[in-house]
Amino acid sequence: MKGKKDPPQLLLKFFRWFCHPKLRSSIEGDLTELYNERLEEIGKRKADWKFSIDVLLLFRPGIIRPSEGYQQINQYGMFKNYFKVGIRNILKYKVFSFINIFGLAVAMSVCMLIILMLADQKSYDQFHEKKDRIYRVLTKIKTSLKPNASSPFPLAQAIRSEYPITESATQLTPGPGGDVMYKEKSVEMRGFFADQDFFNVFSFPLKAGNKKNALASPHSMIITSNMADRLFKNEDPIGKTVDFTNRGLNHLMGDGESSASPWGSFTITGVVDDGAFKSHIKFDLLISASTMPALYTEEKILNRTDDWQQYSYTYTYVLLNSKSNDNDLKDALNDLAQRKYKDFEKLKGLTLIAQSLPDITPGIFVGNPISFSLPIEVYYLLSVLALAIMISAGVNYTNLSTARALTRAKEIGVRKITGARRRDLVYQFLSESVMISFLALMLAMVLMNFIKPAFKGFWVNQFLHFELDQNLYVYLAFAVFALLVGIFAGTYPAFLLSKYQPLQVIRKRENEKPNKWGTQKFLSTSQFVISLFFITTSILLYNQFRHHLAIDYGLDSKHVVNIKLQGNDYDKVANELVKTPGVINVSASDYLPATGTQNGASLKIAGSEKDFIQHTVLQANNLFTENLDIRIIAGKNLPSSQNSKYILVNRSAARRLGFENPSDIIGQLIERSGSSENLEVIGVMENFRFRMPSEQEEIAPLMISDKPSAYRYANIRFVATDRAEFVSRLDEAWKQIDTSHPLSYKFYDDQLAENNQGFVDIVSIIGFIAFLAITIACLGMLGMATYSVERRTKEIGVRKVLGAGDNTIALLLSKSFLRVLTVSVFIGAPLSYFVNNLWLQRFPNRVDFGWGTILTGAFILLSLGLITIGSQAFRASRNNPVDSLRME
Amino acid sequence: MKKYQLGEFEEIVMLTVGILHLEAYGVSIKKEIETRLSRKVSVGALQSALIRLEDKGYLKSREGDATEERAGRPKKYFQITALGKKAMEYSKSTRNELWDAIPKMALSLKIAG
Repeated sequence: MKGKKDPPQLLLKFFRWFCHPKLRSSIEGDLTELYNERLEEIGKRKADWKFSIDVLLLFRPGIIRPSEGYQQINQYGMFKNYFKVGIRNILKYKVFSFINIFGLAVAMSVCMLIILMLADQKSYDQFHEKKDRIYRVLTKIKTSLKPNASSPFPLAQAIRSEYPITESATQLTPGPGGDVMYKEKSVEMRGFFADQDFFNVFSFPLKAGNKKNALASPHSMIITSNMADRLFKNEDPIGKTVDFTNRGLNHLMGDGESSASPWGSFTITGVVDDGAFKSHIKFDLLISASTMPALYTEEKILNRTDDWQQYSYTYTYVLLNSKSNDNDLKDALNDLAQRKYKDFEKLKGLTLIAQSLPDITPGIFVGNPISFSLPIEVYYLLSVLALAIMISAGVNYTNLSTARALTRAKEIGVRKITGARRRDLVYQFLSESVMISFLALMLAMVLMNFIKPAFKGFWVNQFLHFELDQNLYVYLAFAVFALLVGIFAGTYPAFLLSKYQPLQVIRKRENEKPNKWGTQKFLSTSQFVISLFFITTSILLYNQFRHHLAIDYGLDSKHVVNIKLQGNDYDKVANELVKTPGVINVSASDYLPATGTQNGASLKIAGSEKDFIQHTVLQANNLFTENLDIRIIAGKNLPSSQNSKYILVNRSAARRLGFENPSDIIGQLIERSGSSENLEVIGVMENFRFRMPSEQEEIAPLMISDKPSAYRYANIRFVATDRAEFVSRLDEAWKQIDTSHPLSYKFYDDQLAENNQGFVDIVSIIGFIAFLAITIACLGMLGMATYSVERRTKEIGVRKVLGAGDNTIALLLSKSFLRVLTVSVFIGAPLSYFVNNLWLQRFPNRVDFGWGTILTGAFILLSLGLITIGSQAFRASRNNPVDSLRME
Repeated sequence: MKKYQLGEFEEIVMLTVGILHLEAYGVSIKKEIETRLSRKVSVGALQSALIRLEDKGYLKSREGDATEERAGRPKKYFQITALGKKAMEYSKSTRNELWDAIPKMALSLKIAG
């Protein structure tokens, strides 16, 4: 009822804003009266209209309040004054200003790094013209917690033809990965099969070629401009014919599983300008999907045209038409999944989920991703850590400003007596804290220039490709962030300080004792507890890392270099390499143990009733065990005749298959699931680690058989010598074997050390956070100690005159801080012990986490804390009392 | 030099305030002018005229009671001051003098023409 009769509120507010305060109420009364009369006579709409006209006509000189005079002039002047006083305060108390600005800047730089990371991720896939209508279809099976980025092959076709809500759908099928050859030159490329709708859905920019037909005919190929430069140098790539040999290289930078197979010749129909965009879809080449049928008939790839069961085969992207929304798509996908999967007992309950393109980076954690990226959960975790640091730094500011209230009391009193309202004082203190926070922002920008390269140099970044460019939006975000930090840190002191009664503070200032500092102590204690937690965690992680580094793999990786065969015949390679001076022995394997890859097989004793047991399978020749110094503890080595009937098993496989004594298994026939031919155990190896140390503690069952067609690496043992020189000799030999590929080698011990690179990153991050946490906590304590010493100068002087010694005074000054440190250790030590144990217990190959680690952490914390307080306490205690007493 | 400054609209407002005597406030003045002279008066024009007149000292105002139809806002009543009365009289007499000074011929010619 009331709302219906009211005049337009927006205009009324406008009127109240511009009208001279003296005239406001009577004119508003007139307006209201007129409005109410008109409401009766001509109805609401016309009355509103006339009211608006009246208000607008009132907007004239004489009625508009003066822009100067009244309140405004006062405020501008005051803000200028606040600014001036703020600067003077910063300059006058240099130590406190430094502590505040430096602490805030350190914390800010970390937060800014995360803002940069998010901005970097947000810039992905922004170039697609129809990005708001593009969705990726995820598959989620009932038993899995996380959805899969990939989907079944027939999905795109089904969505395209059966649901009119889609304008188009395209799919990217992994598969192509190998060598593209042009005139004796060859370049390794990885990519996808892409259908003709690819360019209907996405807007990848083509430097050359026509989007309409680039992917139309079979044996068409699109490459990136980077690859084109490498392959064709200055020639125009369009229309050139290249040969492609597929080596099954994975689109995720991994190694392939198949040996080289020639796919015939392709025509280059387009060049994608890969410098011009950032996308979560990363490829070197795209092959037209119409090539696939030819490859099916040649049995080069599997035909999955109607295979709904293989749900991790391809990546499907849907473009909705402009009239439909994501709910329509959701319904369609539910309907589709229901219909297609009702007959498959195993896949019942499989759901198809639509994920919009902007949600992919940064996005939720998905299985079988199309490219590596940090899942959003990691950002949450990092943001929480960064915010914890930020809050800690903000707390320092709050603490110090509150503690120093007494120093400012006189100023507050004078301001209040000359007419400042409480609000004005709040503004003053807030503007001061915002000023400090912007100064901190400037320092943080400088600091960030040091952190950024370190972050980009992380091992994981070679997969994540963070670029961290700074642009206008990022700077804007920084400015908003600094403003928020300033307000957040300044609010509490502003409201507390502005509360003081003027007369009291002026009169009783000298007598007033610093308050008990209850809040400050609590906050300071929590800072140290958190610091202790991070210190112990990083020590623990570092120990764990050292433990992994020192782990005995059970094989001799020293002086072994592994060379990728890159599709060459092993015997040819081995014959050539063995002749190279310095080479002791050459062996073959299909992958390298303990570098992250493994294949599996299910084995049991032939004819036994027991279940199959999962084994890891390695294909290697007879020289492999000898080369890596793996001891045969029973039976003999594989025969040199390359007979794949004979196998070696390790000690734990023998035990799992039921033979406590390794020599008993020799000669046993083994049945392999899915294979009709039985295998015969010819020898048992000593256990060695073939998994990464972070994967498993117990050494799992392993079998080695000899299948020459699977060889992909040559393992070379060489004489201890200068590595660089040896590599150059290998390179010479390699050129005799293969002219088109460059030598691809890695030293085995480097490769094993690389296993821990991810660990190094985590240790550095946590260590850095620990460093920040303790720095900020110590800065805070330094500030408090400095202040309390300053306040008690006179007391110290009197005590010294009366005969107190230096040590007594130092102890007196540091007593309350020592208590804070002790309490922190007593709370923090058990806390970090229990929390760290939670994750450590799930960790394979873990170190002992005794109280030793905790004690080291506590020792570090205490010594840093003591240095902080001590520096102030001793400085004060050695002062000449005459100086301090003469201060009056 | 003019002795008293009073514009045309200002004069009308002054006269209306006089007519309404003690009942002159924004809305009543506006309505009075609108009915008597059948011309539209906007709140803005009226208010700025009233402010000018008050500044010149021709009008004085007092705050009235707040009523419900005005959502609790007070009425501002206007009254003519002695100076205001003089100004009105001055303006009336100057006009009369000017009227009287017009020769009869001019007027009748104008009408005839």
